[in-house]
Amino acid sequence: MAAAARWKPLVPWVSGVLLLLAALGLQSQLYSGQERTVTAIFMFVALAQAWNLLGGYAGYASFGQVVFFGIGGYFTAVAMTHWHLSFWTCLVLGGVVAALFGALIGMPLLRLRGHYFAIATLGVAEGIREVVTNLPGLTGGGAGITLPTVGDQATTAYLGNDGFYLLFLALAALAVLVSGLVAGSRAGYALRAIHQDEQAAAAMGVNTTRIKVLTFALSGLITGLVGATYAFQQVTIFPERLFDVDITVLMVVMVVIGGSGTVLGPLVGAVILQFLSEYLRQNYTSYHIFLLGAIIIVAVVLLPQGAVNYLRDARRTGEYSLLANVRRYRL
Amino acid sequence: MTSFLQATLYGLLQGGLLGLIAVGFSLVWGVMNIVNLAHGAFVVLGAYVGWQVNDWIGLDPFLGMFVAAAVLFGLGYALQRWLINLVVNGPVFITLLLTFGLDLMIVQAMNIAFSADYRSIPTSYAGDSLHLGGIRVPLGRLLAFGVSVVVTLALVALVNRTRTGLSIMATGMDRAAARLMGIRARHVYALTFGIAAGLAGMAGTMIGTVGTFNPAAASGYTLLSFVIAVLGGLGNMYGALIGGLVIGLVEAWAGQYLPGTWINALAFLVLVVVLIVRPSGLVGRAYYAARLEV
Repeated sequence: MAAAARWKPLVPWVSGVLLLLAALGLQSQLYSGQERTVTAIFMFVALAQAWNLLGGYAGYASFGQVVFFGIGGYFTAVAMTHWHLSFWTCLVLGGVVAALFGALIGMPLLRLRGHYFAIATLGVAEGIREVVTNLPGLTGGGAGITLPTVGDQATTAYLGNDGFYLLFLALAALAVLVSGLVAGSRAGYALRAIHQDEQAAAAMGVNTTRIKVLTFALSGLITGLVGATYAFQQVTIFPERLFDVDITVLMVVMVVIGGSGTVLGPLVGAVILQFLSEYLRQNYTSYHIFLLGAIIIVAVVLLPQGAVNYLRDARRTGEYSLLANVRRYRL
Repeated sequence: MTSFLQATLYGLLQGGLLGLIAVGFSLVWGVMNIVNLAHGAFVVLGAYVGWQVNDWIGLDPFLGMFVAAAVLFGLGYALQRWLINLVVNGPVFITLLLTFGLDLMIVQAMNIAFSADYRSIPTSYAGDSLHLGGIRVPLGRLLAFGVSVVVTLALVALVNRTRTGLSIMATGMDRAAARLMGIRARHVYALTFGIAAGLAGMAGTMIGTVGTFNPAAASGYTLLSFVIAVLGGLGNMYGALIGGLVIGLVEAWAGQYLPGTWINALAFLVLVVVLIVRPSGLVGRAYYAARLEV
């Protein structure tokens, strides 16, 4: 028993490494269509984890998270096209620029709470999209911009399906790792304290402003890296797609369905939802959005606290009934 | 000068309609603390109901809007009574996601039923205009503006002067106390959501009369309602109308004097500035902005 308790802290690390190895091994078993589907799952794992850092742990729901995705992507596109930087330089710089932007808008916006923070971030994202659309000389405007991936202009050879599979897998692993480190650190406790009672947290000596701004920047960094990679993968990008509010909403849906404020939740939510969405798209093409909406409604009514939190509580209390779950938030 | 006056008039007329689009959104948010992401879908659904009755029996859209209001009221009442009430005590994410799911379903259902083509509700007079000096007053928009203002005033009267309205406000302020006074909170919530959906349906029919619509427009109206509700402020029935007029004017002037589509960025700039400087909105009550449920 004592030995089991000693090994327990290693369980997440070992299972994480096994999962990573499984994902690496899976690659050679997939057709190229399946490989793209799994690549998209990795992308959303990273995005959901990034959103969860502030939205899940601290309860600050950013509804403009996609702005970091768009900034990372557009920085990469502009730098590769006009400044002839290599993709790898752009990837790092794109993430850094997104993080700096997060710190910059975080300072005024993180004073707002609840719905107001959600909407202010949404406003920023929509505003930046319009700015990008209105600078056609730099960004190509609404007509889009094509990254140099072939010929003399190409600064970095296109990675292909296999390359992007590995890169998105690495980003997903990075995001899970960061989330796990934050969850166990002082910062993680501070964020959860802010979630429960911000004034009490401040009274206990948590520098709430600093920790919120830093977390927002960190979340922006990961989202920016994913955006940069996505832009390179897509080759031609448009403001409507890179700043699409649906991408933000998907992050939120994935986190909530999986279980917000946990390391495992966003991972589970992203895998389930993206897989389900792809399955419905292939088998019920014209109805798939309708069915996806119905599934979200059922999931939210039956599992409002998310799959991971539900299972954890159910194991502890022995209460597996979903009806008891519904009773909790019913009027 | 004439072009400035023309833009101002156009902005005011458009702003009134924007106010009608957002007033239900603001009501639901203020009373139940629900941010209804399906609001834009209700607006577009209302436009389709107005279009459908016009197509079947040639009903004039200014009468058809009452049909749209009735249909949407019924839909909204049922949704809140038997679905949204199941999760209304949850954290804000939950209601947000539930209404997002509703939005997906309604928009897709409209895509299947009516196709993604742009439509408008034809009338013989909405395209005509009056001329005042050098200024052109489009008749359809003038009527839509009139409807918006009258409906907003009617809503204010309903909320402030009737038992139903007072029970809605009471439930919004303190649900537990309201229930102890014998108010049936489930019914009042459903009624509130029904009224909001009905007003959205009316606004939709107006939109179909003065312009075009398709299912994809739904998310745009939700976003616009967000902006207007925050700008005007919650807890005051005039808030949406005032917010709508401000956005209408800003967009009309920006369209006149700014190049390209900078006009879209401006509305969000106004929003962010208002949120930072005065989070309770232009005429809202601080109580609603200070609520911290996350």
